[in-house]
Amino acid sequence: MKERNITLSVNGRVHHLTVPVNKTLLEVLREDLHMPDTKYGCGTGECGACTVLVEGSRAINSCLMLAATMDGREITTVAGLDQGGELHPVQQAFMDQAAVQCGYCTPGMVLKTISMLAKNAQPSEAEIRHELEGNICRCTGYAKIVAAVQQASGQLEAPTLRQAV
Amino acid sequence: MSEFQTIGKSLPRIDVRAKVTGRAVYADDIQLPGMLHGKVVRCWEYAHARVKKLDLSAAAKMPGVVRVLGPKDVTQKPYNSSVLDLMVSEPMHQMLGDVEDQYLFTDHVKHQGDAICGIIATSEEAAERAAEKVVVEYEPLPVYLTADESKQPGAVQFTPLKPGNLAFELPEGMFPNHVYGWGDADAAFAEAEVVFEDSFQVPKQKQAQMEPHAYVAQYDDQGRLTCWTSTQMPKCVQRKLSKLFDLPMSRMKVNQTVVGGGFGCRLGMVMEPEACAMALAVPGRPVKLTSTREEDWLDSPTRHPGKYWMRMGFKKDGTPVACDAYFANYKGGYYLDGSGVAFTTGAWLGGMYKFGALRYRGESYFTNQTFCGAFRGYGNPQTNFVMEQMIDRACAELGLDPVEWRKRWHKGVGDDGWCIGMTYSSCALDECLDRGAKAIGWEAKRAAYAKQTGTKRRGVGVAVMNHTSGAMPMLLEHTVCTVRLNEDATAEVLLACSEIGQGSHTTLRQVAAETLGIPVEDVHMAIGDSDATGYDIGAHASRTLYVGGGAVKAACEDARRQVLERAARALAAEPDQLDIRDRQVFVRDEPSRSLPMERITQLGVYNFMDPQTGKTVGDPGQIQGYSSYFPPHNSPPFGACFAEVEVDTETGEVKVLELVNAHDIGRAIHPAIVEGQLEGGAQQGLGFALTEDTLFDANGLCLNNSFTDYKMLGPSDMPKMTNILVENPDPYGPFGAKSVGEAGLVSPVGATANAIFNAIGVQVLQAPITPERVLQALASKRAQ
Repeated sequence: MKERNITLSVNGRVHHLTVPVNKTLLEVLREDLHMPDTKYGCGTGECGACTVLVEGSRAINSCLMLAATMDGREITTVAGLDQGGELHPVQQAFMDQAAVQCGYCTPGMVLKTISMLAKNAQPSEAEIRHELEGNICRCTGYAKIVAAVQQASGQLEAPTLRQAV
Repeated sequence: MSEFQTIGKSLPRIDVRAKVTGRAVYADDIQLPGMLHGKVVRCWEYAHARVKKLDLSAAAKMPGVVRVLGPKDVTQKPYNSSVLDLMVSEPMHQMLGDVEDQYLFTDHVKHQGDAICGIIATSEEAAERAAEKVVVEYEPLPVYLTADESKQPGAVQFTPLKPGNLAFELPEGMFPNHVYGWGDADAAFAEAEVVFEDSFQVPKQKQAQMEPHAYVAQYDDQGRLTCWTSTQMPKCVQRKLSKLFDLPMSRMKVNQTVVGGGFGCRLGMVMEPEACAMALAVPGRPVKLTSTREEDWLDSPTRHPGKYWMRMGFKKDGTPVACDAYFANYKGGYYLDGSGVAFTTGAWLGGMYKFGALRYRGESYFTNQTFCGAFRGYGNPQTNFVMEQMIDRACAELGLDPVEWRKRWHKGVGDDGWCIGMTYSSCALDECLDRGAKAIGWEAKRAAYAKQTGTKRRGVGVAVMNHTSGAMPMLLEHTVCTVRLNEDATAEVLLACSEIGQGSHTTLRQVAAETLGIPVEDVHMAIGDSDATGYDIGAHASRTLYVGGGAVKAACEDARRQVLERAARALAAEPDQLDIRDRQVFVRDEPSRSLPMERITQLGVYNFMDPQTGKTVGDPGQIQGYSSYFPPHNSPPFGACFAEVEVDTETGEVKVLELVNAHDIGRAIHPAIVEGQLEGGAQQGLGFALTEDTLFDANGLCLNNSFTDYKMLGPSDMPKMTNILVENPDPYGPFGAKSVGEAGLVSPVGATANAIFNAIGVQVLQAPITPERVLQALASKRAQ
């Protein structure tokens, strides 16, 4: 297999890599850079578990992107969001709204939310749901994920401890 | 103010920080030094065939290949990947007739994706490239996709152990005439004034958990086999693997990793046998085995599809006189828990209404599709789809209100539950029905939708459900828990209960903290390492909070008793006069007489002897609480679901507008987690009702083993959801809690079907209720 030399910035750290041209960005992240925070869910761009950000705000499916085409790009994975123990507001919102169950879709959901809010700071509920269509969650029924996006966009308060109704 | 410190509070989950930062370690995230990669070579061309020739020589020469494994290079013991054999007594096992019909690598392909051989290589890619060089010649066999086909005389036999491809019928020894139920159904039907019957079809739904199956296995230099696995049942898998590979349990270790969703798909063994067989073939070297999404779809269990016939008889006033039902499920290629769903489907049917007589028969037939196993609900959604539509048909014919009929005739406290003799200990279904009806605006909407014109028709429907909290009395219920108090009065809870995303470790920690009287932050859940934890069945049958929580509570009560006995001596009081709150032990009626719990735990460990006097201060011994807990009862939850839909009568499309899910859960230990179970369950229940079915062509090849072709409801499809948590503490559950894990999925199935019936005046008898089937139903209505 042909190889190509690329430079990839991942979460602010620059990597010089030699990658086979058929290798996906997801595989390079997980296998070459040993960064397992980006998840394999289907390998065919259907589930969004492998979502990463390009240039800080554009969400892509890393399973569909050949690493060789990402030369010179800046990639953000979910592990690059929290700083010095402080969670990113989107991460905090997912935590506050109990939007996490098995957690396998969560990295992709968090990054997709950041990308969504970069385009539209105050999305309506219908817009949120539409934007999340490419990210599958099988645990939550999406209700609390939508609430997390609303909290992250300042449209919903973080809940205090809830009692049973 | 709540009587509790921790119970009833929606605290942040234990695992949430690791999950939002991507630091949670799932099985595929594990990297070990020298790790190799396995690949299972599967039959993708045929759903039924014999292997005539298998040539691994070219694959073995491929770069990076370390070993190739044919059927004779691994254990040839037959096995059953399900764990039912561990959960019933030997006589019961014999009576059920559960069989071992699986082999690591087969020469008789029984479904597409069946495993032929394995490759071990230095990288996943090298293993995949070698897999392409494996030469297999097949002799195609006739393909059977339904029971009607596979039970024909002369059909190829799936296993000599099950003649006629009848995998299971209710055994005569336990169910005379192969019937579950009560009363004389024929005599009861003779008394009926109106009788309805129909035949329904239920779908082959797939769990589609987000994390595919993944394992790492290593046979180490002590002769010990370790398997890191995404299983729901670490302890049972440890036992099953030790039996399969003839290893004593002391040399078989299972580490449960973070699990990316289960929903029943990871009950028992899935691909652990293949991963472990590969590790045994390369001693010392860890081997990682992961499944692709396509493999997950075709080589791990699905829900049981099949044909479900039902007949119900009533008096004209609505009195339910008799119910007769027959469910023939299409088992797929292998037996697994062939006896389970065939029985429980009838058990939920029997647990719901006060029919004068019930006669249920359940059978499993082998067919050439992916084998069926456990899926959240375990037969209950199938029954809900059929039973609840039959009830609404009767209500429509008899002019009765479906909510009022259900309130009048559902079973309640003292009635037999899911098994005859296991009576209901609590029931708040009336409150669920009342509050749910109010929330959806039942009366006004039923009245309004009775007189609709136009092409878009709205409807509102209701369905109720019962379930279990654990599988007693049919299956074993047992969880072992150890709680160890540290010197500083913090605690470690050791148990094997599975966290599969449902939040069990968070809620079990609340149970521990509340019982011990210490802050929840001071309790650590040490779970997942089979070396450290005692027995537990695993996450199935909605048992983890009810049974596991009972075990945690019992172990913590044991530790608490020891603390109070020691504190009583120090405070010159009786243990039963004392209480613990926020790590202070105090006399209940005189709270100023107190001492820090830490003083007791500290002195228990650091119990110095004064060398001059030879005396010690306080009681020696680190406090450990222990329970080997067999619950005294099974306290089922109830639920009432209300759905509102809009049906486009020109296109057949159904949009669910609103769902109200009211559940009697006993006590919500963690309300947000309960809501999450109901909301996530609803997504799967709506999927069963409207969109989800694994489809096969005439050759048994799968048409939709991907997220594009297998349609699940997405964020825009999901309706507005309202959860109503009805708290009516159960006398047996920990702090009154009953189960919730599976419950949320079940009643949205019937409620949605009934809402469609309300909208268009005709029932759709096949799930999922696709637009085509809606249009067919409307056409048949017009033709009448």
